[in-house]
Amino acid sequence: MANEDVQKTLADLSRELQESKARLEEAQRVAHVGHWEWDLETDVVVWSDETYRIFGLSPQERPMDLATVRSMVHPDDREPLYRAVDQDLIAGERPSAEFRIIRPSGEVRTVSSMTSERWSSSGDTKRDASGRPYKLFGTIQDITERKRSEEALREVSRKLQESNAMLEEAQRISNVGHYSWNLIENQVVWSDEVYRIYGLDSRQDTIDLAKVSEMIHPEDRELVFHAAEEALRTGNPADIEHRLVRPNGEVRTIHSVGTVKRDASGRPCEMFGTAQDITDRKRFEEVLKRNQFYLSEGQRIAHTGSWAFNDSGHYWSDELFKIYGLDPHNGAPTVEQYLALIHPEDQASMAETIRRMQEEKCGFDQLERIIRPDGQLRYVRAVAVPDIERGVFKGFIGTTMDVTEQELLTQELRRDQAYLAEAQGLTHIGSWATNFHTKQIFHISDETFRLHGFDPKHGSIPLERFFDRIHHEDRSGVTETLENAIRAGTDYEIREFRVVLPDGSIRFLRTIGHHEPSGGTGYYVGITMDITERKQAEQEREKLRQLEANLAHTNRVNMMGELAAALAHEIRQPIAASITSANACLRWLARNPPDLERARAAAARIEQDGNRAADVISRLRSFYKKGVAPEREDVDIKEVVQEMTALFRREAVQHSIKIYSELGEDTPDVLADRVQLQQVFMNLMLNAIEAMKDSGGKLTISSRLTSEGQVMVSIKDTGVGLTPENAEWIFDAFHTTKPQGTGMGLAITRSIVEGHGGRVWATTNLEGGATFHFTLPTGPEADT
Amino acid sequence: MSPVTVATVFIIDDDSSMRRAIHDLVESVGLRARSFGSGEEFLAVKQIVRPSCLVLDVRLPQISGLDFQRKLGEKGLKIPIIFVTGHGDVPMSVRALKSGAVEFLTKPFRDQDLLDAIQQAIERDRIAQEDQANIQDLQARYRGLTLREHEVMTLVVSGLLNKQIASEIGASEATVKIHRGNVMRKMQAGSIVDLVRMSDKLKLVPPKE
Repeated sequence: MANEDVQKTLADLSRELQESKARLEEAQRVAHVGHWEWDLETDVVVWSDETYRIFGLSPQERPMDLATVRSMVHPDDREPLYRAVDQDLIAGERPSAEFRIIRPSGEVRTVSSMTSERWSSSGDTKRDASGRPYKLFGTIQDITERKRSEEALREVSRKLQESNAMLEEAQRISNVGHYSWNLIENQVVWSDEVYRIYGLDSRQDTIDLAKVSEMIHPEDRELVFHAAEEALRTGNPADIEHRLVRPNGEVRTIHSVGTVKRDASGRPCEMFGTAQDITDRKRFEEVLKRNQFYLSEGQRIAHTGSWAFNDSGHYWSDELFKIYGLDPHNGAPTVEQYLALIHPEDQASMAETIRRMQEEKCGFDQLERIIRPDGQLRYVRAVAVPDIERGVFKGFIGTTMDVTEQELLTQELRRDQAYLAEAQGLTHIGSWATNFHTKQIFHISDETFRLHGFDPKHGSIPLERFFDRIHHEDRSGVTETLENAIRAGTDYEIREFRVVLPDGSIRFLRTIGHHEPSGGTGYYVGITMDITERKQAEQEREKLRQLEANLAHTNRVNMMGELAAALAHEIRQPIAASITSANACLRWLARNPPDLERARAAAARIEQDGNRAADVISRLRSFYKKGVAPEREDVDIKEVVQEMTALFRREAVQHSIKIYSELGEDTPDVLADRVQLQQVFMNLMLNAIEAMKDSGGKLTISSRLTSEGQVMVSIKDTGVGLTPENAEWIFDAFHTTKPQGTGMGLAITRSIVEGHGGRVWATTNLEGGATFHFTLPTGPEADT
Repeated sequence: MSPVTVATVFIIDDDSSMRRAIHDLVESVGLRARSFGSGEEFLAVKQIVRPSCLVLDVRLPQISGLDFQRKLGEKGLKIPIIFVTGHGDVPMSVRALKSGAVEFLTKPFRDQDLLDAIQQAIERDRIAQEDQANIQDLQARYRGLTLREHEVMTLVVSGLLNKQIASEIGASEATVKIHRGNVMRKMQAGSIVDLVRMSDKLKLVPPKE
């Protein structure tokens, strides 16, 4: 029975043991703890299944010994591990260690091994004779995961510290601080930065809600607390900007955000938030806003738009859109769209400019005409510069300015200048503005250059060189006048001075300078004019006056000669006739018987012709009468007209001109110099004949008594007539309409008539031709 | 000789006293005179009797004497002209004389000078009239020759011998002699020299080679 019982008990125990063992195994597996035994004498090692697993092996897959175990320890930990174990054993202490092992898969695990107090699994500490244990028992636990967690925790902790420091630093740099407000205890905690923001020192100053409230700008206090209440009430974060007053009186602007935290019951327990000093940012924002406003306003005022063209796109300022008449909503135009806006004549050159800009990455500055979509023509000046940042090409930036008004003004100015230059060129008047004191020239017109013999194209010339051109004899005079005027600050005029041109010729100039006090001492604006021609004309006129006097004399002499020739013919005719008649008379008498009848007739003709000759001679004598002072006598106009008609009869007949006289019977005698009166008739009748020479016509001489009691004689022709301007000038000396005329005839006529107290003038006939009239005082009562 | 007819002197002068004086002078030497105040009046005369001459004032109202002279020539009126002028100059007189004027007198002139010139002019006109008559006579005689005789006459006056003429016209020397005799008789030529002079007047041209 006992045996049976024993057997049974043994079987039970064995089962129990087996179960217990299995449980242990299970426990070890779950806890990742294995156990081991190490026979220090044999170095045989016995492992539990879990120990095998920890080492990455199958349970009991092979027997273990120390060398195998050693080989599996991480090489770096091997020596320290065994040295420590030896030392512990020698010291009689239980070795325990953490070390790394390498599984056959190469995986590294960290394990913790501890030696049991029991030293061996059997419960006895196996010791040798010297008391040294020779068998060890212990556990081994895989602590890799734990280790990792520890490591992670350490890292987290370190990072937390770091991030705290960084947070402080970040808060300091960004002027952002955080605070918490314990709503239950009504306590406020600030980060250092908040202290700084409030102008306080976290090491010395303490704060509480009252103090915070006090420091908030009085005007913003209500705002701040209202926001806080609102946040507490609604649960939404508070987000406000407010001002605070630092202890030193400085006002700062704060951006404050706060969130409300609630406890488990939902009651608000804390308000947490940040405070940021945005004073500077605010100020920058304002400055930026202002600058942007200034810029856009400036662009608007200056009609200047700006643009940028780079990797991030194509930017056009609002004003630029306005200049080109485009809608900003459509965005900046493409190159093609842009070119389409350019005036057709400028398109090619602009396309070329853009091509060059893109190819050579160079800027440009170009004036171009554009035609806005509404058809308006504008002038714009476009400037582009390459945008180079630290030597790297980024794109282009540029400005475009609407210069239409300037351009039109410039064009107008240019036109005006051209007109002015033209006018100056025509009148030979040049303008200038200069400071004689500082020798600075502000303006010299082209004509001024030319007047001094300089080519305007050669550009500016120092003031001295203008003075060098002055004739050396006039230089000191000019300089003196100028210096006196500058000293006195007055205007001046130099009526005449000479300049010597490069070719040696002399030019007479006149200059007027007006002192402009606003330009400082010696500042003058003036004109210089060319009076050379006027000078020459004066000299010419003087010469002409001389010539006129000479010619008046010559004319008189010539006239006498012509008169003599005409009269000689007149005389020769009757004389020749009478001689021939005398011959005939003699022949009649010499006949046998003499023909007395015919002889008497011939003799009668001789007498007649003789008288005719005598008449002519007496008239001739009157022409040759000498006398410096005109001899005034009563002259019968009719008689003179008859004489003159006789004189011109042949001439008139030759040109198919008929001479009529319509002399009023009542025409009284005039008090005149007979010869001069003849001269007057001769000139006027010759003119009339001259006018009809090619056409023939009628010459009518008429006379009548005017209401003023003067005799008016009119000599009327049917010739070519007078042009209005001729009518005005004909009585002037040397004015002539005839190719061979001296222009003296009518001038002499006038001087004679006027010398007699009369008047001479010409009128144009309605039916063609001209009539010359002159008046003469009558009889003895006539005024001399 | 034909009987001497009284010659006529035409006078053109626009100066009436001068015109009348010359007219009277011409009549005082027994010549017939007709005077006119202008060229037109003269041209209006239907028949210019011959022999005659023209005393012309160089300076006429409408036309100069020289131009009038040319105008007469154009009209085929070949009347001898004596120019008189109040103030003649050398170039003018040269021109006048070259154009066939008989004389160029300057007023006042000696009566004898004018009368001599008139005489000379009338003589010249008379000869011209006779020459004109002679030529007409010769032409009539020449027209009386046969064609053969024309031929022979032309060859005779060009100096060919009978033999040469015969071979020229393809006839016998005897025939040529007969033709030649006829020519001399019909032309009323006394000698070969006479015949040559007649041929000159008739302006006969020897046939070309």
